[in-house]
Amino acid sequence: MDIIVCIKRVPETAEADLVIDGSKKAIDTDGLVFSINEWDNYAVEAAIQLKEAEGGTITVISVGPEENNEVLRRALAMGADEALRLTDPAFEGSDAYAMAKILAAAIKDIPHDLILTGVQADDDGFGAVGVALAQMLELPYAALVTDIKKEGDTLTVHRELEGGLEEVDTLKLPALLTIQTGINEPRYVSIMGIRRVAKKEIGAKGVADLGLSEEEVGLKGSLSQIEELFFPPVGEGAEIIEGTMDEKAEALVKILKERGGIG
Amino acid sequence: MEELQQPLPERLDLFTCIQCGKCTGGCPVSIKSPLNIRRVIRESTVREDLHIFFDRLEIWDCTTCSTCAIRCPRGLRPVDAIIGLREMMVEEGRIEKTIIDALDGAYKYGNPWGRAKNKRAEWAQDLEIPNALEMDPGQVLYFVCCAASYDPRVQVVAKSLVTVLRAAEVSFGILGNKEVCCGSEIRRMGEVGLFEMLMEENMKNFTKIEPKTIVTTSPHCMNALKNEYEGLDSEVLHYSQFVWRLIEEGKLSFNTEVPMKVTYHDPCYLGKQNGVFDEPRDVLKSIPGIELIEFGRCRENSLCCEGGGGRMWMEGTGIGKRLSEVRVEDALEMGVEAIITACPFCLLTLEDAVKTTGNEEKIKVIDLMELASMGLGVTPEVE
Repeated sequence: MDIIVCIKRVPETAEADLVIDGSKKAIDTDGLVFSINEWDNYAVEAAIQLKEAEGGTITVISVGPEENNEVLRRALAMGADEALRLTDPAFEGSDAYAMAKILAAAIKDIPHDLILTGVQADDDGFGAVGVALAQMLELPYAALVTDIKKEGDTLTVHRELEGGLEEVDTLKLPALLTIQTGINEPRYVSIMGIRRVAKKEIGAKGVADLGLSEEEVGLKGSLSQIEELFFPPVGEGAEIIEGTMDEKAEALVKILKERGGIG
Repeated sequence: MEELQQPLPERLDLFTCIQCGKCTGGCPVSIKSPLNIRRVIRESTVREDLHIFFDRLEIWDCTTCSTCAIRCPRGLRPVDAIIGLREMMVEEGRIEKTIIDALDGAYKYGNPWGRAKNKRAEWAQDLEIPNALEMDPGQVLYFVCCAASYDPRVQVVAKSLVTVLRAAEVSFGILGNKEVCCGSEIRRMGEVGLFEMLMEENMKNFTKIEPKTIVTTSPHCMNALKNEYEGLDSEVLHYSQFVWRLIEEGKLSFNTEVPMKVTYHDPCYLGKQNGVFDEPRDVLKSIPGIELIEFGRCRENSLCCEGGGGRMWMEGTGIGKRLSEVRVEDALEMGVEAIITACPFCLLTLEDAVKTTGNEEKIKVIDLMELASMGLGVTPEVE
């Protein structure tokens, strides 16, 4: 089974003090640490586990500048066979719809039985590229997938729904799945492993190579664009407890007891 | 796997093991864990495929205290077999999530807790410590490392050391946010490539500033820098060695009585592995008012606290008491008011043990530098 996995390089923001840049449409990424989008990491692991069971190949694709080779190379070290980077200044400003067009243009030339993406990206959280891509490629798809079983040319997948529900679907291959975190335990990728694939060539394709026009991608080819980015104003109702560690703990317990948090 | 091509038994000369069992006999975790180091050595020499070890979580119980290596009559290093197996697991990516998080943290942020790089020197922001990168060659570099940079409890140790160095009028600098993890624990969790990467990063700065002496907070960093960093010409000392030298040279003396009955817990990486037994005790004894009572198991026989070898990020499979709890109970029986130690991991594990055994009112765990600071009339503030 030949699998394509779409992966994204995103900044890690959990520990960072974020600053909005001059354009007011993006964050200042200076000094931020970048890595593979968490959901995509699970998607790569899912692909490797399928390959280990079924054989076949894995191609990883990422849209972005040369730095994206970091995440592509990491996926190669993890167990992917080929990597392709889609890159062009014209891609700048692409929304999920334009991004799906770019990926679709590249994927139509690569033989595949299954396409995996993460459910969403850590940075802008659209959660739309995967399903838009399935529509464009006219593939059956399932989103929020937490389990995959393959029998012949049929996939049985579990989907995580709201309210704790789990749905089981069957899809005919070729198909597209968006992978939810927790579906597996992504393996560790060692530094030596990454060094071992350091010389492996990573292909790059631009807008013309993909047979697209500049009007179809970037801001012009998008259905939506970011107007403004801002931190929500601080609301009321928050209470900062002051004092020593013991005083703080005591005050907190008192509040929790008073308001029924603990017995 | 090319780099590790030579099989583990050949690489570590394990075929010469005579199976005497002194390693297991001396292993501090063998009392509570299924880990039997003698058997691991034997199996690794007779089994075709070392993957049989991959599902044995007890391989991660080893604290790398190295008692086995000290006691082996053949001069083998059984502990390195454990690290070798971990290397294989790391290469295949089959390791526990908490270990992955520690390694990822060290890779991305230069510390195994994954804390922000630009917060590394926050502990020192009011102390006006010179930037070592702007100092002349031949000076003293204080290598703080991760626990003392980020853990609020161990930050107190770093601040106390600064108090002591200043009292002795030592001019020194720190690398601030340019410092990265020494890699000691990373190497022991089996991530050799990442250890080398961290070493190269620190070596870049060491080469730039050519310090005469590097003083470390942790015996683990001292051991890594001194014994494992390639091409490092500077003298590397644990703070206990450096501070004792200051006392001997007459540059430092303690003016405040600290009336306290204490015992001293030998950190494995300081004592067993580097033979530094006397200096911390000499520092202790030079503080007026201190009465030192020795543990039954002290010096080479010291009981490991279980904090080393990656165990800060892995609870371990063993059942029963933590060894740090045994240590605290032993100390209570001896009737001391405090356990003094000289390693961030020992400090944290022993202090945890005081809490888990419910003895917070009865005994304290104090770092040697905190005690030295008290000997100078400065009481360290522990929140």
